[in-house]
Amino acid sequence: MKPLILLIEDDAQIRRFLRAALAAEDYRLQEAVTAEEGLAQAAARQPDLILLDLGLPDRDGLEVIQKVREWGKIPILVLSARGQEKDKIAALDLGADDYVAKPFAVGELLARIRATLRRSTATAAGTVIRFGAVDVDLDKRVVRVEGQEVHLTPNEYKLLQVLIQHTGKVLTQRQLLNEVWGPQHTEQAQYLRVYIAQLRRKLERNPARPKHLQTEPGVGYRLVTEDPA
Amino acid sequence: MREALLAAAIVAIATAASVLLRDTLAPTNLAMIYLGGVVAVAMLCSSRVSVAASFLSVAAFDFFCVPPHLTFAVTDYQYVFTLAGMLAVALVISTQTGRLRDHAAQAAVREARTEALYRLSSRLAGETRVFEAARSAASLAEEVFGARVAVFLPEDGRISFRRRTSDLLPVPPSEESIAQWVFDHGHKAGLRTGSHPGATALYVPLRGAHETFGVLAVLPDVVANVESRIFAPEQQQLLEVFASQTALAIERTLSQRAAEETRVHMQTEQMRSSLLSAVSHDLRTPLASITGAASTLRSQGGRLPLETQRELLESITDEAERLGRLVGNLLDMTRFESGPVELRRDLYPLEEIVGTALQRMEPQLTGRLVSTELAENLPLVFVDDVLIGQVLWNLLENAVKYTPPGSPLGLAAFEEHGAVMIEVRDRGPGVPPGEEERIFQKFYRAKSDNARGAGLGLPICRAIVEAHRGTIRALPREGGGATFRISLPVESA
Repeated sequence: MKPLILLIEDDAQIRRFLRAALAAEDYRLQEAVTAEEGLAQAAARQPDLILLDLGLPDRDGLEVIQKVREWGKIPILVLSARGQEKDKIAALDLGADDYVAKPFAVGELLARIRATLRRSTATAAGTVIRFGAVDVDLDKRVVRVEGQEVHLTPNEYKLLQVLIQHTGKVLTQRQLLNEVWGPQHTEQAQYLRVYIAQLRRKLERNPARPKHLQTEPGVGYRLVTEDPA
Repeated sequence: MREALLAAAIVAIATAASVLLRDTLAPTNLAMIYLGGVVAVAMLCSSRVSVAASFLSVAAFDFFCVPPHLTFAVTDYQYVFTLAGMLAVALVISTQTGRLRDHAAQAAVREARTEALYRLSSRLAGETRVFEAARSAASLAEEVFGARVAVFLPEDGRISFRRRTSDLLPVPPSEESIAQWVFDHGHKAGLRTGSHPGATALYVPLRGAHETFGVLAVLPDVVANVESRIFAPEQQQLLEVFASQTALAIERTLSQRAAEETRVHMQTEQMRSSLLSAVSHDLRTPLASITGAASTLRSQGGRLPLETQRELLESITDEAERLGRLVGNLLDMTRFESGPVELRRDLYPLEEIVGTALQRMEPQLTGRLVSTELAENLPLVFVDDVLIGQVLWNLLENAVKYTPPGSPLGLAAFEEHGAVMIEVRDRGPGVPPGEEERIFQKFYRAKSDNARGAGLGLPICRAIVEAHRGTIRALPREGGGATFRISLPVESA
């Protein structure tokens, strides 16, 4: 059966075009206009993915994320306004899976939906991950660029490993720091930036124009393993 | 009284000297001693006293030196001539010396007055606010007149003792009405004047050419001689000139402020109208294309060839994106103008910011060679990554917009003189000479601008860079094209 998407969005025009776009991709769609209604639907229907607008009339969208995360792992894709990095980070730190900034092109949204659904259904990934000229053998902990083995420090490798675990998903600085260095280092974003820069120098063809280790300005980082559609 | 005693003492000394010498000198020569005394008196005392001293000297001379001694009688009639001549000479000396002294005193008064007025005008020349001007005048008046002085300024046409330049003036609140009367009528009143002579202070209006701006209150110090000096006619006159000069300075201050307000107002108006015309044009054009294309598709979509439908759809998305960028720029500009920009600064490798900007530009960079030359070992930059990224993105977007398709672009960074320089370089037509600064002004469009920019991108860049205490400039590029150079000071967190 096709995945069921729950759309929580108060603007009728946006619901209208999303309805058309999602139907064209054969997704099943459930719509909710308020946070209350959305939460009720999420509990009742157990959708495969929630598309959540942060600016809802009755309650803050961030509360919806919090409530949904209290009882489940349903992937949440946030629709946020441009420039509100604080909201995006808050949404991601609360457990949202990704975000798309308004105004967005439908192609971009569909790609994010596919990636998010794929991550949630993916079983244990293969032991060799490949992106661009890079091969990462997770069993043997070996990284090769164009066939040549590249030496990574333990922290660099750990960082890469975390990014690979969440391929395609944006990770906030706090999340990365927490996973690599531990919860007591979540404020030391400089570490992270320096390590990302080093990883880029070792893995990217042109570190000033990274193809895979991408920055989400003001929010965090994302590992992109496929060429953009 | 003291002068009279002094004069008497001098005459007495002259007499004593004459008595001692009257056996050796002829009486006519003794007269010279008295004349010397008269000169001394005339120099030290007022002319009234010295005239009196002249008569006294002649009398003493007659009594003590002209035989027979110790009587006023004169036996030898030639002494009548001596006495008359002596009196005449003494009187001339007294009056002339007195006049000379008065002249000198008047000159000193004039000089003091000129100096006081000069100090007043030079002190007031620098004042741009009414209250400050009034306060300067009051404090100078205290020095010049040796009295306590305050200026009371009106609030809505009412003189209020609350709005005054000094709190040290002990005037009773009941005298507010005297000050009000002075303010309303433009005549002085209070202490030792025709009206309310018993008041604590003297109230002088600050009368300008057309209106009265306030009231100067003078409270003489208690020491008697200082008080009397203030009420001397020439001091009163000086006080009035002082007040009118102050009024003129206030008048000038007010008219300057009015002119400045008009200028600012006109500038704001001009800005607003150019903003409105630019914004309405820039908002309407893409809206018109969107409306046109969408309505065409709705009413005739079925009859149009597929290719045309696709083109219309493309123009809708393109124009919508343009509209989105414009609205974003307008929002940014408003944000930067509504107060200091709040920076979320941290230390970043420049590479990362450059990389993000290029990544965001990727769709527009297809078919272009983009070289990146980042110097090795650049220090971390202490910036707001989102905003500096936006600056780079804006510059790259401009470069794409204003250069021929396919022409190469360059991004370079290096350290120089304790600053990190970031350059966005192109091989386009370059910035027209003389417009390098103007292109950073809001809504300014170069004459050769066919790209329909809103004239907001570069002003936003400058606002962001300056918030980081950096600079941004447009430079001609060797070999043709333009270089936009950002200089960011190297700072630590």
